Parts: sequence; C-alpha cells; structure tokens
Amino acid sequence: MATFPNLKTNAVAQYPATKVLRFQNQALRFLDGTEQRYRDAAGPLHRWQISLSQLDEGETAALDAFFAANQGAFGSFAFTDPWDGTVYANCSLASDELDVTSVAEMSGTTSLTVMENRG
Amino acid sequence: MLVYPQLGTGAMSQFPVKKQRHLRTVVNAAADGSWIKLADAPGEYTEWSLQYAQLSDAELATLQQFFTAAEGTLNAFTFLDPISNLLAWTDHLDNAVWVPGPLLTVAGGIADPLGGTNAWHLSNTGGGAQNISQTISAPAGYLYCLSAYVRSAQASTATMLLGAQRASQAVTTGWTRIVFAASGDPTRASISFGLELPAGGALDVYGVQAEPQAAASVYKASTTGGVYENARLRDDLLTITSTDVNRHSCKVNVYYAKHL
Repeated sequence: MATFPNLKTNAVAQYPATKVLRFQNQALRFLDGTEQRYRDAAGPLHRWQISLSQLDEGETAALDAFFAANQGAFGSFAFTDPWDGTVYANCSLASDELDVTSVAEMSGTTSLTVMENRG
Repeated sequence: MLVYPQLGTGAMSQFPVKKQRHLRTVVNAAADGSWIKLADAPGEYTEWSLQYAQLSDAELATLQQFFTAAEGTLNAFTFLDPISNLLAWTDHLDNAVWVPGPLLTVAGGIADPLGGTNAWHLSNTGGGAQNISQTISAPAGYLYCLSAYVRSAQASTATMLLGAQRASQAVTTGWTRIVFAASGDPTRASISFGLELPAGGALDVYGVQAEPQAAASVYKASTTGGVYENARLRDDLLTITSTDVNRHSCKVNVYYAKHL
C-alpha cells in the first residue's frame, strides 16, 4: 500500500490546514412537520485539505511523482492524520488535477485534498 | 524535430513556473459513500505556464521564431521540463535506461546524504575506465547541468560525462555534490549523461540529475524523466509586451498529452 509522502521536515501538512468530518444522514419529513432521521452510511468520513508552500524542488517533485504513481484520484493509499497521528489505511486524492507553481528557487506551492474512502 | 528554445542565460524559463498535471478517473459513486473507480491512463495531459519578463531583443526573437516554426498549436516539438530532472530512474541505477560498462558493478541500498537508502555503489573491476550513462532525446547543443552526490572510501576522482564533454572531479570521503555544466554537439538530437570511474575505482553515488540550465538545483528523484516529445503550444497567439528598449515580456503555455 502506498503512503502519502512527508515533507523533508517529516510533516505532512502546513498551516493553515483544514480537516473535514462528514456524516451521511438522511431525513424524511412528514406532512405533520415531524422528521425521521437515519444513517445512510456506516460512519463518518474524513477529508483533509493540505496547502503547501515554501517547498523545495525535491519536495514538489516527490508530490508530483506520488500524484502520477497514484494515478490521480484513482489509487488509494495510507494517510496519517496530522492532527492526531491516526493512520487511515484507505484514502484517495479528491482530484485528478495537481497544480505545482514554482514561485522562486526553493519556493514551490501546491495543494491537495485527501479523502477517506468507505470500506 | 522542433525543440523549445533556451533563453540567453541557458534557462528554459523564468519564475514563476506553473505546472499542471491532469489525470482522468471515471468514478461511480454509490449511495453509501463508497466508490468504484477506473483509471483512464491515456487521458493524462500536462500543462506548463511559462511567464517571461525582461527578455532581450535576441531572446524575444528566438521565442518568436520558435512560435512561427511551430505555427501556434499546429506542430509538435520537444519540450524539456524546466522544473524536472531530465534523467529517468535516478534512484534506480540498475534500471535498463542506465547503461553500465561491462566491468562496472552497480549495487544499491547504500545510505544516501538525505537520510534514505537510495545511494548506489559503483565499482570498476576492469583495467581501464568504465562508465555508467543514460541517453535522452534532447538537443545536444543546449546548455545542461549534470550533478551528482559522490563519496569514496579514499580520496579519488570521477569524470562527469556530458555528451562529448568531460570534466574530472575530486571525490572525497564525505558526500559532496559534483557539478558540470556544458553544451554538447549542436548537430546531434540526443545526448548522454554519465559518470566514469578510473581503473580499479569505486565510489558511492546518489542523486544524478541533468537540467537544461547553467547551474544545479535541488535534487529531484525521477522515474519518468523530463523530456516531453510531441508537446504543443496551447494557444495560437503569442502576446508580447515591450516594457522598455530591449525589454519584453510574454507568456507561453505548453501542452503535452499522452494520447497525441
């Protein structure tokens, strides 16, 4: 199983980092205004938005290589939650696109969204 | 084949450089939040957005000549990725893209200067010089910078090979980065990069990198290399702004699709 690459500092993300926890519930609303709610999925799914800046060329190349090897949103990999260190074994990238901008020497920027898969 | 031009400094581009890689995945989303996915590998394409400023008249003329020769989006050309290592499989010197001399042994798993184990041990058991090299389909007349981290048990020398050009470099017992920048034979459409060891020589090597510029940047491990044949311009128009005498700016978008 592939693993999301760390930066040279061993960090996975930089500030500001965003984490989203998502449940999937359904609600049926009746004519009398009452509701019945139920779970439509087994549990929550996580999503991490990782914005990276001040990357050196080696770090951007490693992320680009990971993106290509993972075939964009197709492949799955293990991701360590930078908030609590929990390893989520089945995650994917949310997008088939990766933008890498080299602003100056040793100053690359990119952003990725990692999402946890069901199952 | 037409080749995207270098600037007068030998650089392929200026900062900022934007590279976008687009892949295609067919996704069937189920109601419970699970997915069925299919990778569509031929749908991959890559775009570079190159912004130029402070170009001289000569540099602008070179870009204009190239744009005219390419006829906008019509004709394909070879593009050297300015933010990639041009060499492929740089952490795998046992890959078939590398051609070692018959008496050169190549062993992996050596500790590298960045804390990994991606360095290689080269040992020349022959009575003459032996080299390991990789050839890429890029114009030999361009300015290239070849770099590598090397060390050896005893102080010795290694020769860096860049086309027909050679440079002898000292190798110490600690990791040092050796660098060689030169141009090759302008009549050739391919160029080889390599490292030569003298008879009986042995050294550890890591991070072999070739770049289309005058100096080395941070090492970028590579599997695919950075030469894109059959790239195209994305636009049929080239807008040039002259900001002063002998000072011009413009923006060029380059497009490479696997399926083209």
